[in-house]
Amino acid sequence: MDRLDSGQPRGMSEALRIIVRGRVQGVGFRPFIYQLATKNGLNGTVQNNMDGVRIIWEGQRSVILQAVSGISRMKPRLSRIDKVETTWIPARGFTDFSIIPSEASGQSSLVIPVDSATCADCLKEMRDPSNFRYHYPFINCTQCGPRYTIIDGLPYDRALTSMATFQMCDRCEAEYRDPSNRRHHAQPIACAQCGPHVTLFDSTGDRLASRDQAVEQAAEMLAIGKIIAVKGIGGFHLACDARSSESVERLRSRKGRPRKPLAVMCRNVAAAERIANVSEKEQAVLQGPEAPIVLLRKNASCDELLSAVVAPGVRTIGLMLPYTPLHHLLFDEGSYDYLVMTSANPSGLPMIFENEGILDALHGLADAVLLHNRRILHPVDDSVVQVSEQVPFFLRRSRGYVPDPVDAGHLVDGIVALGSQMKNTFAIGRERQAIIGPHLGDLEAEESLEHYQKTLDHLLHWTGIKVKAVARDMHPLYRTHDFAETFDVPVIEVQHHHAHHVACMADNQLHKPCFGIVLDGTGYGPDGTIWGFEVLHGDASGYQRLAHLRATPLPGGDRAVREPWRNAAAMLINLLGEEGSHLADVLFPEYQKEIRIIDRMIENKLNCPMAGTCGRLFDAVSAILAICRVSDYDGEAAIELSDAFDPDEQQSVSCYPFQLTEEAGLLQIDFSSMIRQIAYDQLNGTDRAQIARRFHETVVAACVQTICRLRQRQPALSQTVVLSGGSMSNGYLSRRLVQSLEKQGFSVYIHHHFPNGDGGLSLGQLMIAACQKRD
Amino acid sequence: MDRKITLAHGDGGELAHKLIQQIFVSAFGNTRESHFDASFLSLDSGQIAVTTDSFVVKPLFFPGGDIGKIAVSGTVNDLAVAGAVPLYLTAGFIIEEGFLLADLRQIVQSLADEARAAGVRVVAGDTKVVEKGSVDGVYINTAGIGIARSGKTVDPKTIESGDVVITSGTIGDHGIAILAARGELGLVTDLKSDCAPLNRMIDAVMDAAIAVKMMRDPTRGGVATTLVEIAEDFKVTIQLQEQALPIRREVVGACDILGFDPLYLANEGKVLMIVPKAEEERTLAILRRFPEGANAATIGEVTDTENGKLLLETPLGSRRRLHRLSGMMLPRIC
Ligand SMILES: [Fe+3]
Ligand SMILES: [Mg+2]
Ligand SMILES: [Zn+2]
Ligand SMILES: [Zn+2]
Repeated sequence: MDRLDSGQPRGMSEALRIIVRGRVQGVGFRPFIYQLATKNGLNGTVQNNMDGVRIIWEGQRSVILQAVSGISRMKPRLSRIDKVETTWIPARGFTDFSIIPSEASGQSSLVIPVDSATCADCLKEMRDPSNFRYHYPFINCTQCGPRYTIIDGLPYDRALTSMATFQMCDRCEAEYRDPSNRRHHAQPIACAQCGPHVTLFDSTGDRLASRDQAVEQAAEMLAIGKIIAVKGIGGFHLACDARSSESVERLRSRKGRPRKPLAVMCRNVAAAERIANVSEKEQAVLQGPEAPIVLLRKNASCDELLSAVVAPGVRTIGLMLPYTPLHHLLFDEGSYDYLVMTSANPSGLPMIFENEGILDALHGLADAVLLHNRRILHPVDDSVVQVSEQVPFFLRRSRGYVPDPVDAGHLVDGIVALGSQMKNTFAIGRERQAIIGPHLGDLEAEESLEHYQKTLDHLLHWTGIKVKAVARDMHPLYRTHDFAETFDVPVIEVQHHHAHHVACMADNQLHKPCFGIVLDGTGYGPDGTIWGFEVLHGDASGYQRLAHLRATPLPGGDRAVREPWRNAAAMLINLLGEEGSHLADVLFPEYQKEIRIIDRMIENKLNCPMAGTCGRLFDAVSAILAICRVSDYDGEAAIELSDAFDPDEQQSVSCYPFQLTEEAGLLQIDFSSMIRQIAYDQLNGTDRAQIARRFHETVVAACVQTICRLRQRQPALSQTVVLSGGSMSNGYLSRRLVQSLEKQGFSVYIHHHFPNGDGGLSLGQLMIAACQKRD
Repeated sequence: MDRKITLAHGDGGELAHKLIQQIFVSAFGNTRESHFDASFLSLDSGQIAVTTDSFVVKPLFFPGGDIGKIAVSGTVNDLAVAGAVPLYLTAGFIIEEGFLLADLRQIVQSLADEARAAGVRVVAGDTKVVEKGSVDGVYINTAGIGIARSGKTVDPKTIESGDVVITSGTIGDHGIAILAARGELGLVTDLKSDCAPLNRMIDAVMDAAIAVKMMRDPTRGGVATTLVEIAEDFKVTIQLQEQALPIRREVVGACDILGFDPLYLANEGKVLMIVPKAEEERTLAILRRFPEGANAATIGEVTDTENGKLLLETPLGSRRRLHRLSGMMLPRIC
């Protein structure tokens, strides 16, 4: 909360205007303020407006101040307070407290509420044999349950949700209408008599059981190692017992995903704590109403309690808690504490969410399907969050957070930012609000693009935005490139890393030009080369590229991304010539024949785009260290490289040598000597953990030295640095960058509310396009 | 006669005369036409089809053919896929000073043999010699003349959903064979270019009264670029089956190393046909009777007649949209 204004009004009754910003609409905030006011005997008004919730309280100053402190302390479960602004104003002499209509007519109805994990009150009722919703898998209230995923139109009202087809029974309706009941106007309210129910089908489509028996039988099947598809809030999961290597291996082979770490749902926090280190903050995120997957450090007993094939090759494991009543029931009825829960769609394809055709879609994947008849209208993936230095950051922002708007700090009205090719999200601007859409993943498949288009159309329709301009990445081969043309409005092209830079500025409400260190995978540079290790300076209105990594060839393009050894060989050959070519032969003896051809491809510039990116640098080192030569999933090589040493161990290591060279006023970071030495270290049998740690430290040192040199030369440049790009998901790397830059006197900012990776790209595109549009 | 071409071979004098007589006229055997500045041809009445193409190939000789062979098949195939019956060719040579006469003789002979095999006559020609360095060895331009088939036209306006897309054989052979023949990549392969005139095979299909709705030879830009053009020009969506694409093991292997997509590799002896589903089997049977059609296969179908997209269905069942060949295959994984 911000500092209270200390202006002294006259008279006994004083008046305070309070504006609460954040997620404060559609979450029962006004009734909460109403109760707080009446409890404290304060008069005045509360209303929703475009800024958030605006309160006027009149009464004794001390009473008002006490009530204000209660706002943050007792706020409704689903609310999030970003800012409380207070101003003392002349008292008008209100005689009561009332909820008054929104100032901008109709705007408050545009709030699209988010889905939320089952609350404690509902859970208690669900487990109470005397309650009429005992064991009911769709119990919910105003503070929990599905929202965005079941909405068909706005304003949010049962008739415009997929609950419309269920006629409330008398008991439910009585609760729904009772203003003192916690289900007053809970739109998805239901019970076993009137609401949706579950059914269990086998893989051939035969009905095995329904209602309570369906849950019991599914739990039994899970306990004996079967794979069950479970319909949840945003889509279907494939679930299996995480203790059973046999089951997990079967799931992996059916999904064609040999190594990608799988998320695990734990019975409760205690179960999570038995397999991972869970800090207080991490526990709070796990148990939050958003119920994301939280990436946690495995502890020593993880491999005893879980099959080692759940998350092989990494120190972390993605854990979540049951977030629907059905999940809780599956644990209540089952003997297991951990279930693998992975999305049921084949990788690269949109989520499966409709009952129609579900058995075909899941054919060969699941042994049985636990289905229900409440339709999902808008599929949404599980969100993924990591906590670093007590601060959570997003790896994927989706269920529980989408489509919560944020204050963009500027007018962004009518701008649609199309986002990236992979890990896609789009962003749309309404007045000063930015609404970031759900995680849509890889747009490559036509199905994904169709799904993308539908999702965007819905949000545009709901928000009633008239599209004035479309922002897209410069990459000519992104699927968004052609899609942008279909809007028939001006198209604004945004450079990939500039968008990352500005996204991080927006995430931290920074507005003045600053430095950006963008460490990323591959992004299109306006000079036709691939960028991804950039030191930029600027803001939404423009940027200067001040330094970058020396570019090396990527033989075969995307192929070299999927097979890091190719990139490693090319880097060795390109940076070290004959010596590098020899090193490549010795490091990758099984690929000698291919290496000769890669050598010639480089020489003839055949299908060898030039790239200077952090992601590819990590890939190459990972391949040289024989950690990952061919990757099974996006980012594998880099993730496993950062997990090759214990990041929590305090250890100081020296850097590898590197050079900063200058070309046409542009600094170039040259890691040739480091790459050479890493290759020899590997061949000499140096401890891999040691090499990996030194490598990380070298990247940090190169960035810090670059920034320091730039600022030394141009003291007018900013003292502020934002860190963005996919590589910043590497907790050690970003933490060490923050520490080292702060030590040099810089103010350093990382992402908090939006992903540092391409999931956050659309926010940056939106801000940049809005800025161009204003000028 | 000298062993190498000199500028004097192109000056219209004695040397030039000798060159034409000894290399060209003897190879083409058209002594009658060669006495005049232009040839008089007799054609059956009806529409005449004309096309021209210039051939620049590196290397000039490669497994499965040479520039002379391509200069025939390229032009003959352009006529044939348009639905015409090729009859006559002209050939213009631009030769670099210093070019080996023996090589020229071999190229001209190969051009003549190929024309004979395709049943077309070379009826006019020209040679120019240019200074060393202004061209790379030899360039050939050929023009082709044919007549429209009476009563049997290829009509893309009749394309409808359910029609099938057939290739007369494996994809990408020429592209990889040429790349390997250049020797720059150290790519070792037994692969031969597919370069061949297809008019006799196409005649057989047309003579069998099969309602071919569209035909194209997928040369530069490959199968994908050719089909994108058809899809866009006629507003039809074509869906290919990745698993159904006939691709030689050697081509798959080379693409693997180089990061190329076989759908974008050039072919010089393949035809793509769109025919009604009902005539799929008959078409395949006819194509497979010819050596150049031995690996004919159905590779996809027309799925709608509104959108104008080319889609590729992967083994997973997802569809990926394909575009024209672009300058560079820039990576998109971030
Ligand atoms: Fe990126
Ligand atoms: Mg042609
Ligand atoms: Zn609840
Ligand atoms: Zn009920």
